[in-house]
Parts: sequence; C-alpha cells; structure tokens
Amino acid sequence: MSALSEQPGLYFVVATILPMVSFLLLILTAFLRHAARACDSPLCNTLYRVLGGGRPGRTAAYVATTAIALSFVCSLVGAIHFASHGQDHHRIEELKEEAHHLESEFAHRPVEEHPKIEKELQTVNAEIHRLESKWVGRIEWANPAGPYGTKKDARASILYVGYRIDNLTVVMFLMVTLIATLIHIFSIGYMSEELAEEVEDHQVHTADGHLKRRGRFGRFFLFLSLFCFSMLNLVLADNLFQVFVSWELVGICSYLLIGFNYERQSASNAANKAFITNRVGDAGFVIGLLIIWTYIGTFNFEEIFKTIRAPLTDSHGVRPLRTKIDGEYVPLGARIVRANLVVEDGEKKLVPSQTGDQAVLFSPKVHLHVEDADPGDETDESKWYLKSFYPDFDSTDSMPYWLLVAAGLGIFVGCVGKSAQFPLHVWLPDAMEGPTPVSALIHAATMVAAGVYLVARAFPLFTAEALIVIAYVGGITLFVAATIAIVQTDIKKVLAYSTVSQLGYMMLALGVGGWVAGIFHLITHAFFKALLFLCSGSVIFGCHHEQEMTKMGGLFPKMKITALTMLVGVLTIAGTPLFSGWYSKDMIVAQSLGYVRLHPEHFLLFLLPVVTAGITTFYMFRMWLMTFTGKPRDKHVFEHAKESPATMTIPLIVLAVFSICVAWGWPLHDPEASHLNKVIHHGQPHHVLADFGGLAELGELEHAPGLVFKHVERSERYWALKLHGLAELSAFVAAGIGVIFAFLLYYQSRQTGKTRLDPEEAREQFPGVYALFANKWYFDELYSALLVRPALRVSQWCKAFDLRGIDGVINGSGRCTVTLSRWSGWVDRYIVDGLVNLIASVSYGVGSWLRRVQTGYIRSYVLFLVLAAIGVFAILSYFLAMAAAG
Amino acid sequence: MTVTLTHYLVLGALLFVCGALCMALKRNGIGVLMGVELVLNGANVNFVALAHFNPAFAVEGQIFALFVIVMAAAEAAIALAIVLNFYNNHLSVDVDTAEELKG
Repeated sequence: MSALSEQPGLYFVVATILPMVSFLLLILTAFLRHAARACDSPLCNTLYRVLGGGRPGRTAAYVATTAIALSFVCSLVGAIHFASHGQDHHRIEELKEEAHHLESEFAHRPVEEHPKIEKELQTVNAEIHRLESKWVGRIEWANPAGPYGTKKDARASILYVGYRIDNLTVVMFLMVTLIATLIHIFSIGYMSEELAEEVEDHQVHTADGHLKRRGRFGRFFLFLSLFCFSMLNLVLADNLFQVFVSWELVGICSYLLIGFNYERQSASNAANKAFITNRVGDAGFVIGLLIIWTYIGTFNFEEIFKTIRAPLTDSHGVRPLRTKIDGEYVPLGARIVRANLVVEDGEKKLVPSQTGDQAVLFSPKVHLHVEDADPGDETDESKWYLKSFYPDFDSTDSMPYWLLVAAGLGIFVGCVGKSAQFPLHVWLPDAMEGPTPVSALIHAATMVAAGVYLVARAFPLFTAEALIVIAYVGGITLFVAATIAIVQTDIKKVLAYSTVSQLGYMMLALGVGGWVAGIFHLITHAFFKALLFLCSGSVIFGCHHEQEMTKMGGLFPKMKITALTMLVGVLTIAGTPLFSGWYSKDMIVAQSLGYVRLHPEHFLLFLLPVVTAGITTFYMFRMWLMTFTGKPRDKHVFEHAKESPATMTIPLIVLAVFSICVAWGWPLHDPEASHLNKVIHHGQPHHVLADFGGLAELGELEHAPGLVFKHVERSERYWALKLHGLAELSAFVAAGIGVIFAFLLYYQSRQTGKTRLDPEEAREQFPGVYALFANKWYFDELYSALLVRPALRVSQWCKAFDLRGIDGVINGSGRCTVTLSRWSGWVDRYIVDGLVNLIASVSYGVGSWLRRVQTGYIRSYVLFLVLAAIGVFAILSYFLAMAAAG
Repeated sequence: MTVTLTHYLVLGALLFVCGALCMALKRNGIGVLMGVELVLNGANVNFVALAHFNPAFAVEGQIFALFVIVMAAAEAAIALAIVLNFYNNHLSVDVDTAEELKG
C-alpha cells in the first residue's frame, strides 16, 4: 500500500495485471479440469466436478468480469491520484531546467564553489527522481547482447518493460476498462447460449445434420481476459517494443475471437484474413522499429522524442534554439531539424537547412550553443542563432532524413493494419464473424483504436511527409468506408464500415495536426460505437441470430430499450449538437478546414470529411429506420423477436448515458470547455505546437517556456480554432441532408410499407455507383487479382518446380543410383564373387582329390615314408654323382 | 678281413630296411614298434661307426647315439601307452583297424 501511495502509477500496473491473473486462473483451471477428466480415480473425479464438470459454468464470466471491474476501479483510483498530482510534470520540467542550469554553472563559477553547486545539484536530481518515479517505472527485460556488449552497444541492447502514465494513458485506461467491464456484463447475457452442454451450430452442416459441440462460455471469457490484459499493456507501455508485443497479443486475441466459431468456414477465413492483413501492417511496424533501433538506439518514447526533436533552448538554458536559413530566422525548438553534412577545413559539421538530407539527432549530452550573429553585440537578442552542429562533439549525430520518414511511415503502416485504414481496411468488415460483444470491444472500441492511439503516442516521430500521408490515408478511408456502408444490408457490416470510416476521421485529424481532436474522437467514438454494436447485438440476440436488415423492420415496439439506446448511438455518430460525437467530429472537421485554409492544394482533406459527415448520417439513420420502423419485412423474425434480458440492456443504458455526456463541459455548447477535451489537451505533446502552432487562447504557451511557435497566421491550429463555426455549420448542413435523404428513402409508413422515394429506383438510376459500393470498391477483387491469385500462381509454379524440378532431380538421382547399383551388384555377384568362388571350388576339388591319399592306415604312411626316403636318396645320389663327375 | 666303415654302413642300411619293412608290413602294433626300434638302431650303428672312423665326429656321433637311445626309450614308453589304450578301446592291436583319422 505504501508503494502505491509513493508510486501511484502502480495502480495502472495493477489494473493491467488483473485481467492477466484472471486469464491465468481460467486457463489453469481449464488445464486441471482436462487433466482430471483423463484420469480415473475418485480424487480426480471430485476435482473434475469441482472445476465445472461436463457443463460449462458461469464462474469464468464472474472471474473475468470481477477482474476487469477491479481494473476499472484501480484505474479510477489511479486517475484520481493523477488528477491531484497534475502539476508534477511541470514541476519536473522546471527542476530539470534548474539542474541544467546548475550543470552549466560549473564552467562559470570558481572552483571553490563547486562542492556547493554539486550538493544543490544532488538535491534537485533526487527531487526529479522522486517525482518521476511516481508515474514512470521500468525494469530490464532482456539484454540480447549480454554483459559483454561494448559500452556503445549497451545503450542499444537492453529491452525494458515499463510504464509511463500521462493524460493519454489515463484517459485510455478509463475508457478501455469501463467499456470492457460493460461488455463483459453484456456478454454474460449474450453468450448464455454457450452455457449448454451441447450447442448446435446451425451454420455448420456435417454428414449427420448440424454440428453439435460443447458450449464455449468459459473460453470466450478466457480470451476476453487475455485481450484486456494485452490492450491495457499496450496503453501502459513506455516503449515501442512493449507496444509491439502487446500489439501482437491483441492481434492474436482478435484472431481467436473472430474464429470463435471456427467450424464455420466463413469465420475461420475471416480470422485468417484479419491475421494476415495485420501481418502486412506489422511488417511495416518492424521496419520502423529496426530503423529506430539502429539509429536512435532506444525504444523508449521519451528518449526517442528527445533524440529526434530539438530541445527548446540551447545548453545554457536561456536562448531559444533557432537558426538562420537564407537570411531568415527559423526556430528549431521541439522540431525535427534537417541539416547537411559539410566538411570545412577538415572538420565535419551539420549545417541546418530546410532541405538537408540528414536529420539531426540530439543526444542529452550535446552542447548546443546559440551564437551571436555579430560577436560582441550581445544585446540584440533577435540576431542570436545556431550556426551548425558539430558531430565531433561525439554526442551530436545524424541519420538520413529519408530513413526517419521511413521509420514514421513504417510505424504508421502498422497502424494502418491495426486500425483497418485504406488500403488494409478489408479485414475489419469480415471480422464481424466474431460474436457481437467482441465486435464491440475489440473491433470497434479498443483494439482498432490502438492504431490511432499509437500514431498519437508516437506523434513526434512523424515528419511532415509522414503526416500528410497519414492525413490522406485517413481521408480516403473515411470516404470509401462510408460509401460502402450505404449499401450494406447486414446490420453489423454497416457498423463495421462505419467504424472504419470513423477511424479514418481520427487518422485524418492526427495527420492535419488535430492531435487533441483525434484522441477526443477516439474516446467518444469508443463509447458510441460500443453502444451501437451492443445494440446491434441485442437486436441480433432478440431476433435469434438474424443479422440481415432486409428481414427486420418494425421492431421498435418489440424492443424499446434497444431501439432507444441505439437511436442515441445514431444521433451521437450523426453529430447531433450536444451529443458527444458532435464535439469531437466538429473539432476534426474544423482542424481539417484550418489545414486546408493554409494549404488549399489539399482541399480534399476538408471536402471528404464534410461530405462523409452527410453520408454517415444517411447510413446510420438508414440502418435504424430499416431495423426499427415501418412494416415488418419478415413475419417469422418479427413474431419471435423479443427484448433482451437486463444483463444486456443495462450496459446499453450506461453506454447511452456516456455517449451523450462523456464530452460535456460548461458552457455546454463550447467544445473547448469539455472536460474530456481539457484532459486530453493537457496530454498533448508540445511537439504538436511546434509543427502546427501553439495557441495562447488555450493557454498552451504557459507550459512551454522558450518554445518558438509558428507565426499565428501560419498556424493550422489557429485557423482551426478561428474557423470552428464554419466547419460546424458545414458538417451540420451535410448531416441534415443525410437525415432528410435517409427519411425519404427508408421511412416506411407502418400500414402500407411505402416510402416517399423508392430505394430500388434510386439504385436503378445509378447502377454503376451502386455496383461499386455494393462490391466494396472491388477491393477484395483487386487484392484477389493483384495478390492472392498471383501468389497462388507462384505457388503453383513452385509446386510444379518442386514436383518436376526438385523431385525430378531427387527421383532421377535415385533412379540413377538404382541402375548403377544394379550394375555394381552384377559385377559384385558374377565377377568378384565368381573369382572368389572359383578359387574356393578349385581348392575344394583339389582337396577332395587329395584326401584320398589320407588312408588312415599306418602301414601305407610308412610305405610313403619309405618310398619318399628312397626317392630323396635317389635324387641326392644323382646330384652327388653329377657333382662328383662334373 | 678288417671291418671297415662300409661294413657298418651296410649293417646299418640292412637294419634300416628290416625295420622299415617291419613297420610297413606288420599289422601288429607291437611289431611296428619293434620295426621302429630297428630303424633307430640302424641309424645308431651309422652314428657310432662314423664316430669311430671319422675323428671329426668322434664325440658328436656317440652323443647322438646316446640321444637316439634315450629318445627311443621315451618313444617306446609313449608308443606302448598308445598301443595299450588302443587295445583297451578296440580289443586289438591291429593297426589297420586304426583308421578313424582317415581324411
């Protein structure tokens, strides 16, 4: 407890670990139960029954829900602590400046004063450490280089696992844990069919009727717990690598839950599609990570930003950092600094330039000295500037600028995959195969928002080129997805495309400098989209798993709570004034208008969100009208429809309340007065101000001393604030047109079932456009033609090559060997063996002929002996006679 | 008539031939052994005669003769033991019945 009050950041760590505990508990129990079932002793049987037995129980749900609810409580307590210590960060900044100042004192003061300065410095550093460790902490995780890495490598070889609590983290934690808790509760009702010992899956046909399987109630909550842990860990992480690990963990949870009914071909395909599409994005992510690892040597967010963004002042802590290019003073503070590597008098140095091919890396030890333009004239401050960086300081270095752009884009590609942005958006609509609470939690409120979160978190990493790409990707996505949503008839698919579109809004906002607007929309969207999905879940549950809107209609009297809460969701997403979506969406539109005001060539970035605001309203009302009003389209569905139980409707009501009020402040009509907005605004990195201008109106200049901003006339954020009213009006008009068309086309009178305008006619008038939208802009076909089919063809070639080429060589060599062996066998058998056998048989013949001499009679032996003796004697005599004669 | 070396050598040869014939023609094992003795003694006569007539072999001839006598005694002992064993097994001393070692 004392650790918690000393380091309140640990509340969030506890909140993260709780779902993990639930996950481990559930999976251990599952293993034990499985093991106990296998063996057959009384003890095991008892254990098996105690752990749930053959029938899935509700315990898993209670464990998981309690864990996530406790997580929420922890985050809430942590957030309260955080709010009451909000000044800490500014105090740290001040202390750091003081420490910096003291360090520079060493050079200026006489030696005898040094111990005194040293002592002061120590106290200041201790205070910094105490304040920092309140909300920041990390432990060493892995050191791939081992203890023998060189000192220079050591910096780049340690992976940490850590947490860093700031406003963004706190807001995300509250949002994730609250929505996750509500969705857990909703799931207890929605997944109740999985409690049966035998569940019949009507969509899977086997040889003997429908597939029958054990209920998977526990498994669902097991996956949810793992997901909650991963998602919270992603938000908690203080470094990119930890984010990446969590990123993959949420990915696998998404995969497992999309494929929850994996016996269905469509579900398993969708799971694969989601997983593979995300891997494409992750390839980019990994490239980004590698570039950062190589050049910056750390994954810690703070350290990365400190390295690639210039400090606010020079090393003496007084003079604002700026340079002079073409006679014009350019501020450098908090910016990415481009420079050219110049060799002058055999000395290498980096000269700042607008088009330099190097990005300057600022090590914390770099000494930056702002010089006087004219030595001796120290009075004219306006002429102070920094001429060049000297790499031989050993701490200033640089990296190729294009690699920094690539690192940003790489990370963004990861976000494109996770947040289902164009062109990797194709997986999200298919992911609707998962159970509806999963769609609400993972594929609407939290995981898909992780991409947006990461772009916001890593915002200082993105160069101007990367940001414009982000903006355009967001712009294209929001428009394309919205147009597809118009023609969808599956209630969940409409919401899926709507999610893609809304995520596009957030990306667009971040790309055009609306950091606050993007995160603001992320939070409000999480609430209203979770609400909409849960409502659709309630409708689907009430209609016995009918998802086609063409079979619904007129359900309002049957399910009033669902209909009304869904109407709240629809009104929120449509941007009805004073509903939360209105604040955030209008901020995004305003931000893009501010951007376009300064960069008219990018007019599309304003046009697309405004037009899409109208489209959004149209398709959302279309969905609501088709589902709840008019004449029932399918008698059977209508008759069996019923309102869902309280475990499902209560989360709906809570979410509806949040959807309306989450962005409120006083006065109500002012988005800048919104409390949520203020909290997010305080979490905005000051680098945003450097890139898009800081606003005195919002009190942004107080907390960033020394930061030289863009001139107000050239500040996108200034124009966004100024043109907010115009943006609001245009979005409102667009939305109004959308509502009118939705009512004209889809509001049926209850008796006749007729609408004012016939959707069929509209369809026939624009057959090309309809076909384009209905076929989802042919993205699936395009990918099929461009990637899947070529990949298949290449595989076919590989297969053919494998079969004929490689197998041919192998089989050929095999056949050759067999033939050679046959020859060699023949030679062996007939020539080598023949020779050996011949010798043997000759010996044998001679032997068996000679054995006849061995009669066994002593007398004959003696006879031979005598004859031999006589013979020898005769020969000897002959030779002796010859010798005597000759 | 003086007895010369040739006389001795002829005697030796006669004894040898008698012994050899005795070995080759006798079917009685004891007879064969007697033939062996004759052959050995034929050789002994030669050794002794040469020792007598050739001063270069004066000692060697006699010693060889003694060796042969000792050897003959040993041989007779072993051979008689074999003959006795053979008789025990076959109730005969007919060497023609000893044909089990035929190749």
